Order: sequence, then structure tokens, then C-alpha cells
Amino acid sequence: MTTASRPAPPPIRTHKDGRNWVGKSIRRLEDPKFLRGRGGYIGDMTLPGMLHVAVLSSPYAHARITGINTDAALAAPGVHAVITGAQAAELTDPLPDFGPNPAAHTWRCLAVEKVRYVGEGVAVVVADSRYLAEDALALIDVEYEPLPPVVDPERALDEGAPLVHEDLGSNCAYERTFQFGEVDRDFADADVVITDRLRWRRSGGQPLETVGAIADFEVATGQLTVHTNSLSFTSYLFMVAGTLKIPANKLDIRPMPAGGSFGSKLFATKPAVIAAMCSRAVGRPVVYLEDRIDNISNCDHHGSDRVYDVQLALMRDGTMRSIKIDTVDDYGAYIQFGVGHHGNALAQVVGPYRIASVEYRVRAALTNKNQQGAYRGFGSEVNNWMLEQMVDKAARELGLDPVEIRRHNFIRDFPYFIPTGNVYDSGDYDGVLDKALKLAEYDHWRAEQVKAREEGRYIGIGLITAQERSVFSATEFWFWFDTPGAPVTSMPESVTLKVDATGGITATLYSCAFWGNSPETMVAQLVAEEFDCDPHDVSIVYQGSKNGLPATGPGGSRTTVMLAGAVEGATAKIKAKARRATGYMLEANPDDLEWVDGGYQVKGSPEARKTLAEIAVMLHLFKHSFPEDMESGLEESKVFDHPYTTMPSADRKDLGVFYPFMGHACHVPVIEVDIETGQVSFLSYAAVHDCGTLVNPRSLAGHIVGGTAQGIGTALYEEFVYDEEGQLLTSSYLDYLIPTAIEVPELKIGHHETPSPWTPHGIKGGGEGGRMMAPAAINVAVNDALAPLGVRLTELPMTPDRILAAIRAARESR
Amino acid sequence: MKPPPFRYAAPTSVEEVLDLLAANADAEPRVLAGGQSLVPLMNFRLAQPGFLVDLRLVEALTTLRTERDVLVIGAMVRQSAVERSPEVALAAPLLVEALGYVAHPPIRNSGTVGGSLAHADPSAELPAVALALDAELLTAGPSGTRTIPAAEFFRGPFTTALEPGEILTEVRIPRREGVGGYAFVEFARTHGNFALVGVAAVIEMEKDIVTGASITLSGVASTPVRAAAAERALAGTSADAATIEVAVDAAADELSPAGDLHGSTATRTDIARSCLRGGIQLALSRAQDRR
Repeated sequence: MTTASRPAPPPIRTHKDGRNWVGKSIRRLEDPKFLRGRGGYIGDMTLPGMLHVAVLSSPYAHARITGINTDAALAAPGVHAVITGAQAAELTDPLPDFGPNPAAHTWRCLAVEKVRYVGEGVAVVVADSRYLAEDALALIDVEYEPLPPVVDPERALDEGAPLVHEDLGSNCAYERTFQFGEVDRDFADADVVITDRLRWRRSGGQPLETVGAIADFEVATGQLTVHTNSLSFTSYLFMVAGTLKIPANKLDIRPMPAGGSFGSKLFATKPAVIAAMCSRAVGRPVVYLEDRIDNISNCDHHGSDRVYDVQLALMRDGTMRSIKIDTVDDYGAYIQFGVGHHGNALAQVVGPYRIASVEYRVRAALTNKNQQGAYRGFGSEVNNWMLEQMVDKAARELGLDPVEIRRHNFIRDFPYFIPTGNVYDSGDYDGVLDKALKLAEYDHWRAEQVKAREEGRYIGIGLITAQERSVFSATEFWFWFDTPGAPVTSMPESVTLKVDATGGITATLYSCAFWGNSPETMVAQLVAEEFDCDPHDVSIVYQGSKNGLPATGPGGSRTTVMLAGAVEGATAKIKAKARRATGYMLEANPDDLEWVDGGYQVKGSPEARKTLAEIAVMLHLFKHSFPEDMESGLEESKVFDHPYTTMPSADRKDLGVFYPFMGHACHVPVIEVDIETGQVSFLSYAAVHDCGTLVNPRSLAGHIVGGTAQGIGTALYEEFVYDEEGQLLTSSYLDYLIPTAIEVPELKIGHHETPSPWTPHGIKGGGEGGRMMAPAAINVAVNDALAPLGVRLTELPMTPDRILAAIRAARESR
Repeated sequence: MKPPPFRYAAPTSVEEVLDLLAANADAEPRVLAGGQSLVPLMNFRLAQPGFLVDLRLVEALTTLRTERDVLVIGAMVRQSAVERSPEVALAAPLLVEALGYVAHPPIRNSGTVGGSLAHADPSAELPAVALALDAELLTAGPSGTRTIPAAEFFRGPFTTALEPGEILTEVRIPRREGVGGYAFVEFARTHGNFALVGVAAVIEMEKDIVTGASITLSGVASTPVRAAAAERALAGTSADAATIEVAVDAAADELSPAGDLHGSTATRTDIARSCLRGGIQLALSRAQDRR
């Protein structure tokens, strides 16, 4: 597809001036119930007669199951049922899977013929309590025939490596090399090529509350009700009904608030399927709530795990021309979301820089580990880290200032189509950078760094400038294939607004049960902006799936933008009806009415006016005051579809527009490395984000703080470590280290607002930005600190062990 | 993560405790102190005692007092009580400083000094402190009471001189009011987590000359160990920077800590070096301030 053949972008919006509520740091609507302990989580809910499930997990990374004896477990006190993987395979079909070839890397709720990672479920026990269920697990006798494990992703791709899935015939679930633009020409024209090999190891979101579901199968009606803290959206639920082999219209998923997700509860179907399978087997409500070991070893939501070989082509003045990226991603034993994580990377693969062409080779390796899922950033954060390490290395090797090389390459004309075909809607990267340099006291710290080096101290400053994509399109899950199996294009989100007879407004959400974010606050502020009411007076409810309108749920920083579109659309319908009704009530031409301060009034005659409450009571109770075709009540819904998606070209040299609302940020951590202990401590940390128009600055600041804390974890602490035998060495928080409040510095946060031309109010998503920036920034900072020693860290997390090993290696090589 | 079934009793006297342990010997009984280590182990099913004897109602184990030249801490005194005690602050400030590194305040509110010593985690702070302060541990068992020096109490990872059916009743720490300087420093990956290395140091000086040094390390061996080479290197010197380096090197040369995912042998030795230097310097500066 050429530039000329690109579909026209959506019309440019005119954003409202003088907003009353959008942009205000109001108190969150969600807080009072959670702060009072009245959140109503899975663990708070008990249904009459409810039984408890525990899952027996594999102690082997790779082994054939040659026999299971459940007799003793079945005879144990309080046990109602024991279901093995083989039995589960009769009761359920494979789990919903968006992978490249689900028939060949089949994923089920329990392992059947062989186990493929430590922690994979082998059987379940249903008992009166979790205690009794776990007691019975110990009585299940499984015979295993151990197989050689596949642990290293690159070795997994070697000829003759043991196969994770024999049916696939290879451990490479996906491989393709994309070329966007004139890569060979740009490399030939470049003065220098900077190369590096980089390693990002796996970590994952760590919600305080694990994933769980309460299932209640009603034998008499065949109706299955599942209360779960995942899966809280309607668009893809039919797939879960398919797994359970029930009609989709017999399944109702009721959303529950979640004690954190960070992506890791995105479409987590397995706990719900296990609970539902068990409920149907015993005819009683059943709860399955993962414990911490279940979650760490078997949550299906480990994060990216990549090896990179990268070449960045530049001119001597620092002008970036082209980049070749070759990555192997260790997906673990299954690949439920395909390589969508690399779609995230391709959405912003060139960062904020004018890089004219890109080669991107991705290989998805299958290994004997828990599979990848979603973790805040969904793979884009890894690309940011990779690119910023390359830019940083280029600046060092070319002797250029790290600020100026970035500024020199900034994109400044918008909308800007990057080589992959995605568009950056708007931006002001210079504005963000200037603000960040000031907020970070950059020059002051550079001076401090010089002084510190004279004292033998190693201070580093980690400036990075990177992208923060928001609002994904479904295309990124299938443009990988020339003939995709399911080239879906819908990613809707819906809202119903009801104005009751008193003028009170209730908003119904169809996904986005509370995930630790602020969907209720966002919707209330948007509603208040439209109707000139107090956001704290807006009531928010969640609908179950069965009566739900289409909704895709939180992910890819889409929630606020998509809800804003749905609120805007539902509001327009309500206001159209209210305007017409007011026309009758005032005996005025509706076209002569204008909405002012919570009501309609005649232009030029503000005394001729009806408030929303006055209109609503008439519409609810006085049918005969209106013409026959005016329906009673004042309730409208809007299904809001993605505002800007275009199709990929047939040859996939242009992937189309799939992540158009592009935020940007600059992070500047200042750290000190103790070169004797490898300890990294923070002296300062400044972060400036531009997520378009702000809905609630304090809420966005919360996202930045939380995401940055997780990024600090990724950079310095968190890693799922599998040893050479595929044993998971970090199966609890004893060894999987999460930074505490003491390790996370106080952030200096700045906001910059460059509205999107294509979203309501100009909003862009900002839910993941902190984690998209911090790992890159901290890595740059550590390398800045250790540069005098000739040390450069290229592997995350930068643990004391890795830092000290690098320092020792540098000393020995001198 | 639920424990297997176990029986439970909460007696009120040491005699009853010993009787219950003897009567239920077949059930592999354990005593429960603060429960901050044992209960997680039970939840992981790594420890599966069939009988749990809870010490929380045994009044006799909750004493905290100073005798003429000894600080006496009952086995069930909560760590937070020790941490806040003015008597302990005077008699054994090293212990107070070390307690600040033991996990987090809510854990110290429940955890006990005796429990930590009897648990004998090689990376724990308090065993290293007991060793550095030449504490004595009093025990009670079927064959009466014993007094065991700290140097003989810790036998291996999670292994002590306690016999089956025997419990720790009291810790006796020689008072060191107004004598010398002390320091506890450690390196943990995150605040409150298990330390990779800890150093307890007590240094006495007279007229700028070190007259005595007691330095121990945690986390570098199967039990807390004494940095005897460092103690010797410092004794009789003015402990200038060069001497401290000699002491640190001498102590580090004797170490060969086992590596794990948080640090190789080389990394842990490097970190031990840093902690030794930090501990010695801090203890010295406090000893000098005292004069």
C-alpha cells in the first residue's frame, strides 16, 4: 500500500472549550467502598452449599503422564469429586486460544497426556473446604515418565530439540521477517551501524488478589452463572461457552472487582472453566481461587521473555536511518494470544524518531514454562527498552549528547505514518523533553555526577524518550498471517445511560469491572461533563454478560477513550430525545433550543427553560403530553467502535492503522550504583507524560506511579527463574522479589497535553505508560553510572549478581 | 497453601509444654512461638507437624529483665517489645539495631527473639547477634535445664543443639553498657526481605587502640560465623583505613558462601566484604564517639 492509497483518516474533531469536569482531579468514586473493605471480591462471596477446588500441579517441566490413581483422594474426608486431565478433556473442549495453530499446540484446562511445565494442572479435587481439597491432592498418585525439558528459547529452536508439542513438529510456533520501507537502501546509505544483543527476562503482573471464579450450574435450567474477576467482557465470551460445550446464551458471566490485574486478568478463562466444569459435575456452586503458587506458576500470564539482536543504522551526526530487529520470544508451553505482543511493538517500533525503514524478524519459541499472557505494556515496553538501549549506545559510540541525539531525530509533523503503517495522531516531543529536563534538574545532576565520580561514586542519569500507544485494534492479532483464521475487526465498548424520573443518571458498563483502575470515576466525570451534574451523583452499575452489549474490556490502554466515545454517543441520543421533548413542553422549535447548564432553553430567552429533571419526569410519567411516537423513559445505549482502524495491505508491507492514539513520555531517573554490592538506589526520578487531554490528572499520576514501580521491578528485581531442568525457582514472594514502597522513590510527575484529533475531548490512553518507560530509563541510568568502568548491562533484571558479574568481567578484561 | 491437619494445645507452663511434647512425640510435635516462620512453612506443607504446642500462654517465657550483669529475654518476648525496650537499648543496642532489619513491624509484633534463634535460619539476623554478644541460651527438656553458649547452639541450617522434646526458654546476654561501639549492617535485595549477608560487630577501644572486637556474619555459611581473622587483624591496632582493609580481606578470604539465584559465591563474598567494612567502620566510629 502506498501513502496515496491510504484510506482517509476520520474527520478532525473540534474539542469543547471550557470543560468543567474533564481535567479535574476529583476524588475517586471507587474509593469509599474499597477503603471500607466493602469491595466484594471473590474471597468475600459465599453461595449456599459452595464447595472448594484445589488443583494438583505438575512437579515436572516435561513428562508423560502414564497413570493417575485417584481412589484414595476420592475416599478422603469431605471430597465430592476428583477430575483428572483425561476426564476434563471429555467434559470440556480446549480453552479459547488465539494462537497460530491451536489444533497443534492444544491448550486445555488440565494436562492430558503429558505435562509441559512445572505448575501445569493435572487433576482437581472438589471438597468441602480448600484445606480438605489440598489434603486430598496429596493422595492422588500420578505416574510420570520424565522427558528432557526445553528451557532456553534459542536452544528450543535448534534442530533435534525435544518437542513441547509433537503435533506442531517444531518448537517454533511462529516465524516471519517483515520489511517496512527501503531497509537495504537505508543501511547502505548509513555511516555507521550500531549492533547489540539484548536480553529481557520474564516477569509478570502481581495482583494482590489472584484469579478466581465462582461457578453455579443450575441443573434444572442448564443455566451457568460464573462470578469472576477476569473475563469481564462480552465480545468473546461465546468462546468460553464453547469450551464448556454449552450454548452461549446459557452462560452469564458476572463481573467482580479485581484486586489488581495489570493485564494479568485479561481474558483469564482457565479458572472459570475449571470452576464451571466442577460445578456441573457436583451440581453445587464451586469456587476456584488460585493461591499464590497457583498464580505464579500457572496463571498463563507471564510477561515477555525476549532475546534481541539489533542493528541500528545512523549517520555520523546521529540521524537515524533504519533498524533491523531480530527477536526470539520465549512464549512458554502455549501461545494463547499469538504474537500480538509484537503487534504492540510494531505499533511504535521506531519510537518518537524519524527512522525511515524497519526490518522485524520474530520467532516465537515454545518451551517448558508457563505461557505468556498480558502484562502492562503487552510487549511494547520491551520494544521501548530495546530501542532506547540502542539509541543510548549510538550516542556513546558516536560521542553525541544523549539528549541531543534524541531531539535531533524527533518526529514533529503529525499525523505521522511510521514505516509499519501505524499512525501517530499527534505529539509534542520537544515540549515533553523540555519539561522533563527542567523537572528533573538535569543540568544539576550532570554536575553532581562529575563531582561524584571524583569521589569514586557512580551516579547515573537515565534519560529516555519513548512512546505510549493506546487503544488497540483487533488487526494486530491476525495481520501476522497471509490467510488469517479469524480476521476480526470489532473492538467495541458500550455504555447505557439512564436518566430516571428525578433526573438522576445511572451509567451501565459492560466490561471493566474494577481492576484497580478508575472506570467509574472516568465515566462519572465524562457524564458530568455532558450533563453538567456532579460526578459523585452519577451512579455506576455493571451488567453481566448475558444481557450485555458488545464490550472488549480493559487492555491496551483503551478503557478511557472507548468509554468516552460510548458516553458521548449515548449522551447524544439522550439529548436528542430530551431536546425534542423540551420542544413540546415549551411549544418551541427544537432547533431553537440550546443545552445550557443542565437543561434546554430557548436561544435568546433563557427564562424559557427545562432542566433535565423536569424533562425526565415528563418523559417517564406523562406519555400523553407527547406525540404518539415518543417512547416513555429516557435511556439510551451506545456501542462505540474503534474510531480509527484500517486494514493491512495484502503483502503486509503496510499493517494499516491499528494503534493510532500515541502518547509519549520522558523519564529521567537518577541512580547510584554501589559497585561493591551491586545495589542500585534512586537519588531522583522525574517523569513527564503526554496522554492527550487529561480526564483526571491525579488518577493518571497514580497510573504513572504504579507503572513505574512495576518498571522498577522489571528493571531491578522481578524475574520468574526457571533452572536448567525447568524447575521454577521463584514460586513465591520469598524469591520472586517485588520492590516495596522503600525501594520505589517519590516521583516528580509532569503532565503535558497534546490532544488527539480523533478521540472525544482529545483523550489518549495512559494506563501503561509508567512500565513502558521505567525499565528502559533505569537501564540507561545504570549504564551511565558504570560507563567509567567500561561496564554496560544488556540484560534485565539488573540484579546485584548481574551487575557485580559485569563489573568483575570488565576488570578481568583490562 | 493450606496446612495439613494437626492437633493443637496452648498450655500455660513449661512443665505442661514438656509433658505434651513427650506425650505426642510420635506426632513429630513442634512448638509454636510467633509463628512467622513455622506457619508459612506449614502452609507450604514443607513442615507437617502432627501436634503444635503453642507457647503464647506460658507466662514464664515472657520475662524481660536485667540482672546484675546480664540481660534476660524470655523465649516468648515479642521482637517489637525488645526493640522498644529502654533496658535493651542500654544493655544490648546491637540487638535493637539488628531487629530493625527483621522483616517488617507487623511481623516483629508477633515474632519472638527465642523463635528466631531456635529456627536457626542461616540468613537470620538474631543468631549472628547472639553469637557476637556471647549470649547464652537456656533450655528445658526431659532431662532438665541446660545452658548452651551461642557458639555451640547453632549446628546447621535450621538445626540447633536442642534435643527432641527440649525447648528454648531464655536468652541471657552479657550487659555492655557504656562499653565500646556496636553495629549491625546487612544487605537484602528488598527492604525487610531475607538478607544475603549480615554483619554484627562490637568493638572496644582504649586510648585509640582496639582492645576487643567481636564480629560475626550471617548468610555466608550454614550457621552464623565469627570473623575471627578480622577480629585478630583489628586487635591491638588503631584501626586505620588500611588496617580495616586488611581485616576485611582476611575475613572475606575465609568465606565461601553457597551461591543461589540471588547471588553467586563471588557476589556474596563481594557483598560480605562491603558489609564487613560498613559494620567495622560504624562500630569503630561509635566506639570513638563514646570516649
